[in-house]
Amino acid sequence: MAEHDRSAALDSAAGPVRSLLSVRGLEVHFPIKQGLVFDRTVGHVRAVDGVDLEIPQGQTYGLVGESGCGKSTLGRAVLRLEEPTAGEVIFDGEDIAKLKAEPLRKMRRRMQMVFQDPLASLNPRQSVQSLLIEPLRVHGLAVADRAQFGADSSASHLAKVVSMLELVGLPRAALAKYPHEFSGGQRQRIGIARAMILNPDLVIADEPVSALDVSVQAQVINLLERLQDLLGLTYIVIAHDLAVVRHISDTIGVMYLGRLVEEAPSDALYERPLHPYTIALMSAIPIPDPVVEDRRERILLKGDLPSPANPPSGCRFHTRCPFRQPTRCDTDEPALRELTQVAPGRRVACHYAEEILSGEVRVRDADLLIEPVR
Amino acid sequence: MTETRTDATLTRTGRRGSRGPVNRDEVLLEIKDLRVTFQRRGGPATAAVDGVSFSVKPGEIVGVVGESGSGKSVTSMAVMGLLPQRGSKVTGEVLYRGENLLTMGQRQLADLRGSELAMVFQDPMSSLNPVIPVGLQVTEVLRRHQDISREDARVEAEDLLRRCGIPDPRRRLSEYPHQLSGGMRQRALIAIALACKPALLICDEPTTALDVTIQAQVLELLKELVNDLGTAMVMITHDLGVVAGLCDSVNVMYAGRIVEAAGRRELFAHPRHRYTEGLLNSIPRLDAPRGEPLQPIPGTPRDTIAWSKACAFAPRCLHADDECVVGDLPLVQLGRVNHPVRCVHPAPEEEPHG
Repeated sequence: MAEHDRSAALDSAAGPVRSLLSVRGLEVHFPIKQGLVFDRTVGHVRAVDGVDLEIPQGQTYGLVGESGCGKSTLGRAVLRLEEPTAGEVIFDGEDIAKLKAEPLRKMRRRMQMVFQDPLASLNPRQSVQSLLIEPLRVHGLAVADRAQFGADSSASHLAKVVSMLELVGLPRAALAKYPHEFSGGQRQRIGIARAMILNPDLVIADEPVSALDVSVQAQVINLLERLQDLLGLTYIVIAHDLAVVRHISDTIGVMYLGRLVEEAPSDALYERPLHPYTIALMSAIPIPDPVVEDRRERILLKGDLPSPANPPSGCRFHTRCPFRQPTRCDTDEPALRELTQVAPGRRVACHYAEEILSGEVRVRDADLLIEPVR
Repeated sequence: MTETRTDATLTRTGRRGSRGPVNRDEVLLEIKDLRVTFQRRGGPATAAVDGVSFSVKPGEIVGVVGESGSGKSVTSMAVMGLLPQRGSKVTGEVLYRGENLLTMGQRQLADLRGSELAMVFQDPMSSLNPVIPVGLQVTEVLRRHQDISREDARVEAEDLLRRCGIPDPRRRLSEYPHQLSGGMRQRALIAIALACKPALLICDEPTTALDVTIQAQVLELLKELVNDLGTAMVMITHDLGVVAGLCDSVNVMYAGRIVEAAGRRELFAHPRHRYTEGLLNSIPRLDAPRGEPLQPIPGTPRDTIAWSKACAFAPRCLHADDECVVGDLPLVQLGRVNHPVRCVHPAPEEEPHG
């Protein structure tokens, strides 16, 4: 009950839009075990290491970052598919991280997931009909329907399944088919239908289009957007493709080594990225237009992502940062702070965000800067 | 320490006398009417590549763009002679310095592959041998094609890995592929391909498995190579963004045939084939205004008709009509110079895309 009050208080502070999900100080650490007889824990992989975010109802939050930055783990921890090590995940007033098994199972009806690889996430031995009816069965929606339709609840299930198929753009004939009989885009539609059939509030889509052909990606992106308008869904879209994420998200969070380094409305983020990592990430994304490509100034990042088991001291990005300064960067860990003065509504975890914005701090090594070529 | 081959920049000096200085006007690789058909015993023949022709000059990067099943990878495998002998039939001509690679003897081809022709594959994990240290896989190429001692090969391999941007190369030489990160594995694979300073490099989706920041590093490395060495490069990819930044000319493939070919600026500014146009309209762009829905191409790349009956793209094309049901549409020049298109209803010339 106390939690209800707290979230209500938070809502009134945040404005008229109700926040559906708020994540506070979330950490997911995986132990590294070693030893033949006794599994000694020799360290932890800090996949998610202190993330705070708010997602208002009906909005889309995009999470971007490179592989290994913890974006998928964060998505899974929100649904408690991974057990959080610390922190709170408050979904509609209840802390999911503390729910017991049965209340959690009930809560999961309202939170669904769309996975990256539809062939791997759909049971090859289940027909589409069986795949789509299963969630209804698991969540005992048959009981509610029985009151309405009498004993014949399977008929109402079937009606639901058929209307869902229609919604995602698959023919009724698909019911008796098996996943291998479909193309990649159609399979992803089945995965989406399975997530949507429970009429959830929150849908987490983990790389929903990256396994699809380029010409098919747009179909699935448009479908996700249409379903959001139709069903009033809240999305978390996790992807490494910033162009896709920018297209569908209202707000984007950029992750690096288990932490959010920048969060901004998606237009503002593209207009003016503030964190050095975001700046480099944006400049690395190829744009399908030679004229733009040739005029762009680009920043190359040196080296690979450091190990999340042993993140660098101070700012986690300082080992690769093209704007690194001699002081503070390798000793103090920057907090994710709102730049109230220069860029309200945006949060950045960089000591020198203002200086980078004003141009006082520049790229320190000319080798890292690639001038426009032609 | 031996002092051989420690020159800081990659140069073509000191090679066997077979190759003269780079002549950037000579055509290095010419593919003429390449056809690859696969046939299972008793089954119907499927044409994966159906009459592809293009040529590559030294120092030039030619892009081949297409979706899965368009035949772009099969083209590269056929050029390198890597397709299985059984079940596949390759016809046409692949002329490398005037010699047909398709009719060349296996031994002669094996001498060329790795030394003059090299390939970078998409998935570095499955193209590196997991039980052999990375160093040995690099030195293997050097020892096979050059008269070089084991010690010298090791020194050269270390140098190669360093130039490909692998930190601490000496330690990496004795490590196994699984100990390297994805980006480093791809760089090791590039190092292997570059070991003998090839004249022609075929890259089959070299950055698809990589993160964008690593992709930028790898592309920059490849660009430098072409500039410094005059290497000719064929870049096979599905990513139009990579093509826009890298390639000099682009061939767009659909269902085994080239449907449009043009210089990169020309292609992106004036796409004529409806498939190219559709592709450009369907991808979300980082620099485009938000809020408008994307215009997808309906259907999937599998919905094709045999080229012998009609335009293979017709089932997905918004402009298709009865006129498109013509067998073997030709690739014709439409107005502009050097911009052949295989389409009955091409996009009008003046209409800018987007």
